[in-house]
Amino acid sequence: MSVKQRLLKLVGSDRLADDTETLEGYSKDFSLVPPGVPNYVIKPKDAQEIQQVIKFANENLIPVVPVSSKVHFYGATIPKQGGIVLDLSGMNKVLEIDELNKRVRIEVGVTWEQLTGVLGEKGFRMIMPLLPHPQRSVVTDWLEREVPTSTVYDYGEPLQGMEVVWPTGEIFRTGSASVAGYPDSPSKGANPSGPGLDFYRFLQGAQGTMGVVTWANLKIEYLPKMDKILFAPVPDLSHAIDFLYRVLRIRVIQECLLLNSINLAAIIAQDLPHDFDQLRASLPPWTLILVISGMQRRPEEQLHYEEEVLYRVAKDEFPEISLACSLPGLPGLDEKLLPLLRQPWPDGVTYWKNRYKGACHSLFFITKPVLAPRFIERVREIAVKFGYPPDDVGNYLQPIEHNRACHLEFNFFYDPANSAEVERVKKLSHYAAPILLEEGAFFTRPYGELAKLVYGKAVGYTAALKRVKKLFDPNSVMNPGNLCF
Amino acid sequence: MAIAKKAYKALESIVSAEYISTDPVVCEGYRAGPGGYECGLGYERVMTKLPACVIMPRTTEEVQKIVKVCNRYKVPYVPFSTGWYGARSHPHVDNELLIDLKRMADFEIDEKHLYAVVGSGIIYSQLQEEAMKRGMYIVVGGGGSQVSAIANMLGDGWSPLSYRIGLPHRRILGTELVLPDGEIVRMGSLALGDDPFWGDGLGPDLRGLLRGFTGLRGCLGIVTKMAIKLLPFQPERLEPSGISPDTTLLLPEKRVKWINFTMPSKDAMRRAMYEMAKAEIGAGATKVPLFWRVIAKAESKEEFWELWSKENEETIKNFHILRVLLIGFASEEQLEYEERVLMDIITELGGEARRTRPSDESWFKNADSAGMWLMCGGYVSVDYVIETVEHAIPHGENYAKLKRKFTPPLMPDYGDPGWFQSFELGHQGYSEFLVYWDPDENTDGVDHFYLETSKENIRKRFYTSLLGPHQPLYLTGPAYGPNYHKWLLAVKNEFDPNFVCHPPVPLAHDEFVERAPWMKPMKDWESPEIKP
Amino acid sequence: MLKGKTSLDVTQIENFAFDMSKCIKCKGCYWVDHIYMPGVRFSTRCPSATRYLFDSYGAYGKMRIGLALLEGRLDYSDELLKTLYACPLCGACDVGCKRNLDLEIELTLEALRIKAVKDGKGPMPQHKKVAQNILTKHNRFGSSHENRGKWLPKGIKPLPKADVLYFVGCSAAYANPEIARATVKILGASGTPFMLMPDEWCCGNVLYSVGMIDEARKLAQRNVDAVRQAGATTLLLSCAEGYRMWRVDYPKLLNMPTADLGFRVVHLVEFVDELIKKGSLKLTKKVDLRLTYHDSCSLSRLSEPWVPWQGERGIWGTVSPKLERRRGTNGVYQQPRDILKAIPGVELVEMIRMRENAFCCGAGRGTLEAFPDFALWAAKQRLVEVKEVGAQAIVATCPWCKDNFSKAVKQNGEDIKVFDVSELILASIEA
Repeated sequence: MSVKQRLLKLVGSDRLADDTETLEGYSKDFSLVPPGVPNYVIKPKDAQEIQQVIKFANENLIPVVPVSSKVHFYGATIPKQGGIVLDLSGMNKVLEIDELNKRVRIEVGVTWEQLTGVLGEKGFRMIMPLLPHPQRSVVTDWLEREVPTSTVYDYGEPLQGMEVVWPTGEIFRTGSASVAGYPDSPSKGANPSGPGLDFYRFLQGAQGTMGVVTWANLKIEYLPKMDKILFAPVPDLSHAIDFLYRVLRIRVIQECLLLNSINLAAIIAQDLPHDFDQLRASLPPWTLILVISGMQRRPEEQLHYEEEVLYRVAKDEFPEISLACSLPGLPGLDEKLLPLLRQPWPDGVTYWKNRYKGACHSLFFITKPVLAPRFIERVREIAVKFGYPPDDVGNYLQPIEHNRACHLEFNFFYDPANSAEVERVKKLSHYAAPILLEEGAFFTRPYGELAKLVYGKAVGYTAALKRVKKLFDPNSVMNPGNLCF
Repeated sequence: MAIAKKAYKALESIVSAEYISTDPVVCEGYRAGPGGYECGLGYERVMTKLPACVIMPRTTEEVQKIVKVCNRYKVPYVPFSTGWYGARSHPHVDNELLIDLKRMADFEIDEKHLYAVVGSGIIYSQLQEEAMKRGMYIVVGGGGSQVSAIANMLGDGWSPLSYRIGLPHRRILGTELVLPDGEIVRMGSLALGDDPFWGDGLGPDLRGLLRGFTGLRGCLGIVTKMAIKLLPFQPERLEPSGISPDTTLLLPEKRVKWINFTMPSKDAMRRAMYEMAKAEIGAGATKVPLFWRVIAKAESKEEFWELWSKENEETIKNFHILRVLLIGFASEEQLEYEERVLMDIITELGGEARRTRPSDESWFKNADSAGMWLMCGGYVSVDYVIETVEHAIPHGENYAKLKRKFTPPLMPDYGDPGWFQSFELGHQGYSEFLVYWDPDENTDGVDHFYLETSKENIRKRFYTSLLGPHQPLYLTGPAYGPNYHKWLLAVKNEFDPNFVCHPPVPLAHDEFVERAPWMKPMKDWESPEIKP
Repeated sequence: MLKGKTSLDVTQIENFAFDMSKCIKCKGCYWVDHIYMPGVRFSTRCPSATRYLFDSYGAYGKMRIGLALLEGRLDYSDELLKTLYACPLCGACDVGCKRNLDLEIELTLEALRIKAVKDGKGPMPQHKKVAQNILTKHNRFGSSHENRGKWLPKGIKPLPKADVLYFVGCSAAYANPEIARATVKILGASGTPFMLMPDEWCCGNVLYSVGMIDEARKLAQRNVDAVRQAGATTLLLSCAEGYRMWRVDYPKLLNMPTADLGFRVVHLVEFVDELIKKGSLKLTKKVDLRLTYHDSCSLSRLSEPWVPWQGERGIWGTVSPKLERRRGTNGVYQQPRDILKAIPGVELVEMIRMRENAFCCGAGRGTLEAFPDFALWAAKQRLVEVKEVGAQAIVATCPWCKDNFSKAVKQNGEDIKVFDVSELILASIEA
């Protein structure tokens, strides 16, 4: 029997495809990672089927590439060595909404659009990264450690207990979902850690190389009863960052972020190019956006003390920072942006990063906020060197947990149909990454060619990681070619 | 009992003669029991040994060299910070080296970025004070202020303050680990540079090797450096006051306040916790077990028993005290706001505020954890679980029922169903079940109860922190995951091929069951032959 | 041993088997009280464990070692004797443990030394020399007994009989006469008639502290009889070690409560504090000094009066009849501070480790004699703290402390002044 025939026996013909058109659909994404074509695409219906496929893949040494949605920005789901794509987007049930424990359990194919809608109906939300693509997998975004816009919760990530099929084919539950018979148990899966080892850590940032997560428990929060979004134009980024060091520790700010003018323009422009160009010209170099909220009880009183302390600190210590409900010349910005911060990017509208030129390559890392201006300046210098207009570099600074660190993102926009632009961005990024790395940028999510760079430097970590990987994936079937594998 | 001469010479050359000893008096000083956490019990008597040699390194390089020597000469070793965790922190086999890490007491603090970098010799009260001086605070684990911050962050790490601050797993930043075979892994941002400010992996996160729900008791390497998150606090000082034994921190009441509430029922307490979490107010919310209040009142063991004998099942059943911590992180107005909301909730649920002292000796600096031993001289937590509040309550009640069968030798507690609280703003709940006994009486029943709780958890599908090294691995392994033990042992075998790092952990409790005649009849699960 | 009849009698180590077996290694005996923990510096209060580092040198180690000795699992050795004797018995461990528990750490350590002597293994050779001095020349230095009274300044005339008997002690009599002189001048200035012992002998501090209990007891009986015979109602001391001997260890040796001695035992600071508050003594002369106060162990942690106890230990380890444990709460902490604050010009700054958390000077109870390097090391540790708080001077209430700090200052070549509190009181009294 051929491989295909044996696969058909496992999953049935309605869920296996190997026609060229289908395969090509999985061979590329929004990133600059070169295309790679799988041999088969299978849409499993449950963990047991995934298990079957993986066991088969082990017996026959065929790579397996888990794919949880239709939208990818970093190249992690492009098959590097062929193999079987496991398209999990059809496993998209919202399995439980546990209001009492502020928890949701969802399959990996559940998208932001789907989840936000379902939660919103019940008065809930999940903290989210900035404007996630509506069709992206919520679970995958958290597994991949996307950074949330919310800075107020000390517990950061929402992930709790989950189910995974290991690269060896065992079905396994992590955290408190590991009890026998779950979810028919007093345990709700609310604890992410254990059993025995913190398996969930191995799955985070793994780009599909450590197993196939099928569902996960995640934390949800109540939607605030009242919100106030505030803006401040920022001519001097360092000063704004100092302000954040001061105010984010007061714990009154929900969402908080800094965007430079081109990025904010790309997000709020009604249309391109006209509105976009106007905004680029009129927006301040940077805009600070922050949200304060009144939660479930006595929300006006809560907002009152939050505003009081925020304005007092601003007035007494940072008089150059003027917080207001909008930016000068942009009335109604609050009404526009607050919903954007609580929803994924609107479906049907070109993703904001692709609005300007059609495509965007992002370089991002974790650093200390105080270092951000230096990195920004560096990248501007490098952009000039490669003939990329420095004012066309998008910047997004996302403070993390009271500003103890930040996600710093550089967006390089290009026309994907223009090969010169594509080359320019590739060269620029290739040149910039090692410099940034040397200067202390912490690339915790090494996508694409960053992997070689980062793992080449972190020799000890890489060696240990490979040893762990070998235990879980002795036949190296799980998404080979990603990371250092 | 001795370390091979060649090995000893090599070890001595690493630290110099002043910091190594095989003297029997020195080694006796490191005996696990008979007093201590989980001491005076069968595990301690059967499984612990005196070290044959004690060594005190100062740097990571020294630790690495020591571990490599141990691998070369097949010298079993155990890392030891303070030894507070009792029997399980001590040597388990003959001719073992105890690596006392107390000299690794480096300390740095990055106030701007809210983290401290510590060595194993730094304990919680030191870290908490350094944090509070700078307007920050941490969770001091229930083990007490005297525990090594690193050891606790690897093994436990929660208290009522976890309601706001959250799990310890999320508070571990850049970390340096000397693997059992002597290789070093630097995790988080230490993988790429010298600043441990961030903890995430390069891709997959090897912090997964540091612990599970609870820790690995030192059988998977030695952490020599860890950066730990500090959390923003409020600016007023918590002033130490009083003379021993009545020392306490005076709280700046407009910014930090505990309030005790009498609630009409346990369900009201549970609902209060949920409502607080929904309103996202508070910095701590916990049920107060009655015997703690009695310990706090009593000036001696005898007075404790005098007071305790006045309680009974009825008083326990009707004792519903909810203790809530409010912190005005932002301002006095915040505390006032949260107190108003809290009173709304309590009033709705029929509760009443009690007069509460504006002081703390239990949670900010946790100076009184040793008081757990006052009553009987023996104490262990047979379980401590983070799941949901809904899990916490029946978990404790279940244990209380089971415990009756083992009382005596367990201390009479009139059916107390343990302690529960709310964590991570209601996303989780916590339950802990503490037991006490007279170590100078027959304690076999305590050993049985300890193991029976594990079986009960499996039967009733409760999650439990006492997995991994804490209970027989071949009992719990198949029941959770399933087969988490397979992965744990695979990792262990990979990184400790010579099995020198704290043998026979994580199989120590399995071995205990095999070796102790009073335990053997409890074995009703399969296991391969245990390696010595 | 662990249940049944028991007492606080230190001559029977079996009485402390329970305590030794119940140490939980919380190291409350080592660390500063966590409530007062100042951070990563100045965080410990056990000099032995801080110096020697191995766990065997903390009470947590010593309890285990003691139990092993009692149970015959460990033999005497040089290392064991060092563990028992490289320790100033400062009481930090006892107080630290008793913050949360009810174990008699200090008594156990005393009992272990007594056992070592009984077993013919202790004390240290240097102690035997000192013992010889005391037994033959009635002073620990081996100086001529006839010279014991030479410190007395001209013009000061003790009465043949008075309510107050000033017990000078070997240290002040021979090595630190300035303390004795200041004391009697203070008494004079306050119009307090006083007498001296007709024939003052050493209090026996070193004898008792190193475990030579028989010799110590004989001396105690002799000295107590002498005071009773002299008819004093108040025994005044300006030496903390001597104070502790008379107030605590003599009653312990003679198996009686402190209250039954038949006379009050009072330190100069208690006496002067009372006088100041009554108005009988006025401190008026300015003393311009930024100083810090060192709580001498024997005046503070170890000074609570003694009550003998015997009874039964039963289930859960409870004892009956009721036993009021000495936890260091009521030590003489406040009076010296009130006195110093009452001196015009004095700026009193507290060290980081104060009161029951104080770090012992290292000299007392046999340590100086057998482990002089360790004693000096401990004093130097304390001087770091003096500098940390920016004090120009350190003040104590004991010649042992004064002497040891002075040595350390000299060796360090520092500019820190070392005073006994009596000197400062005198300096502030109008001539």
